[in-house]
Amino acid sequence: MKFTIYQESRPGKRPTNEDRIAYSYSRESLLMVVADGMGGHLHGEVAAQIAVQYITEAFQREAHPLLKDPFLFLSGALNNAHHAILDYAADRFLPEAPRTTCVACIVQDSIAYWAHAGDSRLYAIRGGRVLGVTRDHSRVQRMVEDGLITAEAAVHHPARNRIFSCLGGTNAPQVDFSKKTPLMTGDVILLCTDGVWGPLPSDVIPRAMSTGNVLQATPALLNQAEARGGENADNLSMIAIRWEDNYAEDTIGSVSTKTMPIDSFTTQMEAFAKARKGTQPLPNLSDEDIERAIQEINAAIRKYSK
Amino acid sequence: MPPQANVPLPPGYQLDEYRIERQLSLGGFSIVYLAFDKEDTPVAIKEYLPNSLALRSQGDALPSIAEENVATFRYGMKCFFEEGRALAKISHPNVVRVQNFFRANETVYMVMHYERGRTLQEHIQKHKGEIRESFIRAIFARLLNGLREVHTHKLLHLDIKPSNIYLRNDGTPVLIDFGAARQTLSLDTPLLKPMYTPGFAAPEQYNNTRRELLGPWTDIYSVGASMYACMAAAAPQAADQRLERDQLAAAVKRWPEKYSKQLLETVDWCMRLNYLERPQSVFALQKALADKARSVPRPTFLGGLRKRVRDLIK
Repeated sequence: MKFTIYQESRPGKRPTNEDRIAYSYSRESLLMVVADGMGGHLHGEVAAQIAVQYITEAFQREAHPLLKDPFLFLSGALNNAHHAILDYAADRFLPEAPRTTCVACIVQDSIAYWAHAGDSRLYAIRGGRVLGVTRDHSRVQRMVEDGLITAEAAVHHPARNRIFSCLGGTNAPQVDFSKKTPLMTGDVILLCTDGVWGPLPSDVIPRAMSTGNVLQATPALLNQAEARGGENADNLSMIAIRWEDNYAEDTIGSVSTKTMPIDSFTTQMEAFAKARKGTQPLPNLSDEDIERAIQEINAAIRKYSK
Repeated sequence: MPPQANVPLPPGYQLDEYRIERQLSLGGFSIVYLAFDKEDTPVAIKEYLPNSLALRSQGDALPSIAEENVATFRYGMKCFFEEGRALAKISHPNVVRVQNFFRANETVYMVMHYERGRTLQEHIQKHKGEIRESFIRAIFARLLNGLREVHTHKLLHLDIKPSNIYLRNDGTPVLIDFGAARQTLSLDTPLLKPMYTPGFAAPEQYNNTRRELLGPWTDIYSVGASMYACMAAAAPQAADQRLERDQLAAAVKRWPEKYSKQLLETVDWCMRLNYLERPQSVFALQKALADKARSVPRPTFLGGLRKRVRDLIK
């Protein structure tokens, strides 16, 4: 396992920093986690701290050196962190449990797995293009995706900070999982809070990461987001890795099974949908290819004719 | 603009070593001709000519292909080659035999053995409601021998219907037109949509995103629907409509006087909407057709429950 990693958290223009971030790795497995405590609720930073700490400790308990099932781990860790926050609130007779967003990512065997609740994001970037990104649990963001409002209108929408899934809080979190994402050398995985992605136009993050130099690009992006956030800049936090191994190298011939997601049906559908958009050119069938195919068929006809 | 129909090559046209006699059929993907070879033996020649990509005008031999369609046209040729490649390896009395493959007029041609006779479709039209059980059993038992050979070669026909079942003058059936077979390539070429025939295509063929559900049971649904059509003298309700509101009367209920219960149950078995409940292989179906006494296994309560749980997990 080989990678370059950079993480940083800044308060922005806020008096406190309610973001918490962490990474941890064993010989063969890497965990990254970002949590954004919710300011509207009491003790937002406590919720974020519990989440990050709980998930990191669980990782250290279970990654020996590989996690048996990364998705199962993520599911258990996020849900248990949710209950840990509720327990904390109950122990102290808090009127309302504190809340936090959470996005966590595991990379092992050159495959990335991630899960999230809320509007902290994960971007998987290859060659400056977004390979995968989490979908915010935000009604406003879903409205943008559905074309009901423009991205511009969303920036000023009164409910832009409202999310419908988080850890803590009265409702059980809705945790969404990625598909298994095989990584190649140079791929970037980036986790960040809305203080980073919020003020930036959508193409800035993948473009900034196109060089793959996370050590420079991460602080540069934070600078840019903080500047754009202006007088009221939110807390900003980000972890980014550049992956240095190559998934394909050691698994030639077994890629198809290895990339099978937990729910093979859903994810295969996605793969088809992507193929259908058909931006990649069709493989060209040359005159020689045609001649060869015809010769092959005629040879088979002769062979099987009696 | 909907694609226009292609103009066939004219009678008397010398195509390679063959002389075109007349057009036999015209589809969206190809044209089939009756032609004669040097020894004056009749052959059927299939010309690759998808009308969404290549159009031939009156008086021309060469089709005109728009610049932007050239790549897709050539890519679609691969489907045609797949069909030829698969059929070339199958030498079976109940499967159409390919004799030659050649290139001309900027496209490709497949030469097949020409069979004299009529399609099962024509036979049904002619003998509306008079088709006997012995006829159905005899035709489909032989046809299934051919289909079994096809499946053995890891190929699915995917367009079995009465008009693709040819009856020789001696009464033996031949499975023809493998144009829909192995349509995996159409997944990423939207210009070449998968073909299916309403009434005979299995429900899983309508769901283009779940190609992995296609299997021998898919062809078996079509075989069941073709047997049903023999009895009803009409195509059964299309599977996509059945999924919404199943109005297809079970064969067992419709013709209890006319056909044996065992045959009717076999037809209904083939036409189950859930592919897991159909015969899973041609062999299983052949066994049912051959064994007149045995009745079709009904899903047990426990089996049904297990299946529902499995579906939930999916």
